[in-house]
Amino acid sequence: MAPPIPTPKEVVQIPLDWVEERSGLVSLHKYLLFRNVPKDISWLQTLGSALITTFMIQVVTGILLAMYYHPTADGAFESIRYITDEATLGWLVRGMHKWGSSMFVILLFLHMGRVFLMGSYKYPREMTWLTGAILFQLVMFMSLTGYLLVFDQRAYWASVVAININGTAPILGPFIAEFLKVGPEFSENTLSRFYSLHMLAVPGGIIAMIGLHLYLVIRLGVTSPPWSKHRAKAGDV
Amino acid sequence: MPRLTARERREAYQREHDFQVKTGKAFFPYAIFHDTVASLVTVVLIMGMSIIWWADFGPVPDDPEAGRAGGFLGPAYENRADPGTEEYDPRPEWYFFFLFQLLRIFKEPEMLLFATIIIPTLLMVLMMAWPFIDRRPERRVSRRPIAMVLAVATPVALMFLTWEGSKAPAVGAASDHPGAAAFANFQPCGTCHTLADAGTGGTVGPNLDTSNPDYATALAIIADGKGAMPAFKAQGLTDDQLSCLAGYIATWAGAQAGAPGPKAPTAEGYPDSCTAAGPDYAGAGAGG
Ligand code: HEC
Ligand code: HEM
Repeated sequence: MAPPIPTPKEVVQIPLDWVEERSGLVSLHKYLLFRNVPKDISWLQTLGSALITTFMIQVVTGILLAMYYHPTADGAFESIRYITDEATLGWLVRGMHKWGSSMFVILLFLHMGRVFLMGSYKYPREMTWLTGAILFQLVMFMSLTGYLLVFDQRAYWASVVAININGTAPILGPFIAEFLKVGPEFSENTLSRFYSLHMLAVPGGIIAMIGLHLYLVIRLGVTSPPWSKHRAKAGDV
Repeated sequence: MPRLTARERREAYQREHDFQVKTGKAFFPYAIFHDTVASLVTVVLIMGMSIIWWADFGPVPDDPEAGRAGGFLGPAYENRADPGTEEYDPRPEWYFFFLFQLLRIFKEPEMLLFATIIIPTLLMVLMMAWPFIDRRPERRVSRRPIAMVLAVATPVALMFLTWEGSKAPAVGAASDHPGAAAFANFQPCGTCHTLADAGTGGTVGPNLDTSNPDYATALAIIADGKGAMPAFKAQGLTDDQLSCLAGYIATWAGAQAGAPGPKAPTAEGYPDSCTAAGPDYAGAGAGG
């Protein structure tokens, strides 16, 4: 006997069931999409997803930039010039990466401010705040390492000063400064080290931290704003 | 609200969580709609900034090492990095201006560590530790006076420092004493140091008119650096150039009414070192 011809609905359902049975990914997605969030969640609570979007912009434009960028003393400035002046829409890719980084920092402060004002870091969300604080520092470190890569006058001298300032810290300072400079003097290796930190190491840390941050946010659930009328009416404050 | 016991705390959270799940709405499509709108606004703002930035670009320069000018949002890029010479601007990205401004406030060498390390570290530690310091369950800001003060004071302080930090130090005209032009224009010294004779008003490093170092002190610091002060021997300055700058500072820092300053007798080889150091250093008054 020939097997029955699957209905259109089954054409979708069968592969989904196959995946679900072996991984549970389908119900995970259903949970993520259809979980309930507070009814009167505020616009201020969209700043976190705006941050994720900005991070994705940085990743995509960063990958495009990396296709043309040369992290060498001779090539760096040249390639920035090429990207800005000649490559098709290169100015847009570089511009979005540059201004995206400013936007990232502004959103970071706003998101932190909203979490602070709403008291959303309180029990049981202390770890969410802590992962956020680590993200803050990682993002600031991204700005620091990214600034040098343009390799124009301002980039170079601001980085020299920043490294020297790090070097003044007691005990660890000189080691950090030597680590960043790759030796006692600023050299071409400094540029490759900054580049590798900026496009590999730190973004890896950021992705891992965002994952943990979001896991905590979803696991604990967000709350409605402390001034929520809806909760007050239900007598739940 | 008083402190709760661990159990009350847990139950209060559970109660609230259940309430939100029971009365809430599905993430998709409701909350995700808001998130999408916020994300689109973000993307549009970033693209808008890029376009405004690009629209003001000057022509592509012929010199492959030259910068390309821009408008209100800054140049496309500045001149190629040159570790050796020319005027420079050690200014960081705008969101580090507040730290940069701290450097100027704590500019005395003994105090500099406050600006560079101590205050930033304390702020970072405070930020990480905050949820463990403020453990009361109250979330309404109107009943959290300390949090309210911090929430107002922090942005005000940050914005004020950022604004102050964005203003470039004022620069006057350099005198024609040998070394003055090098100090003010061909080397970055003036960006960080005030020295009336050279017409510079930088405030990152010490005011040389008041600190008045003698020749040997100045030479050692210029050559080898110290703290935020870059080491200029490593930047490729020759011995004559270093000696010229040190001699110039010893002679003309703290100068009153055209007479050399108090440390002038310590200056060795000045102004001959400036003549030997090359045309940028010799200045109009070389040899005299
Ligand atoms: C990035 C900022 C910066 C630049 C650029 C800079 N300096 Fe300094 N300078 C400093 C700081 C900060 C100190 C204080 C160092 C310390 O004592 O910790 C200093 C100290 C000095 C001193 C010692 C002052 C004293 O009274 O002890 C002299 C002299 C000096 N600088 C000369 C120069 C000269 C000459 C140049 C240019 C070739 C220059 N500086 C460029 C930041 C700078
Ligand atoms: C790369 C940076 C960051 C990303 C992508 C991010 C993302 C998010 C997202 C998507 C949420 C969900 C709710 C909302 O959007 O408001 C959230 C919540 C939260 N974030 Fe962040 N965040 C970042 C940085 C930070 C920082 C710097 C802090 C504070 C130091 C922080 C603390 C918190 C806390 C405590 C919550 C829980 C709020 C609640 O449950 O109501 N985050 N974050």
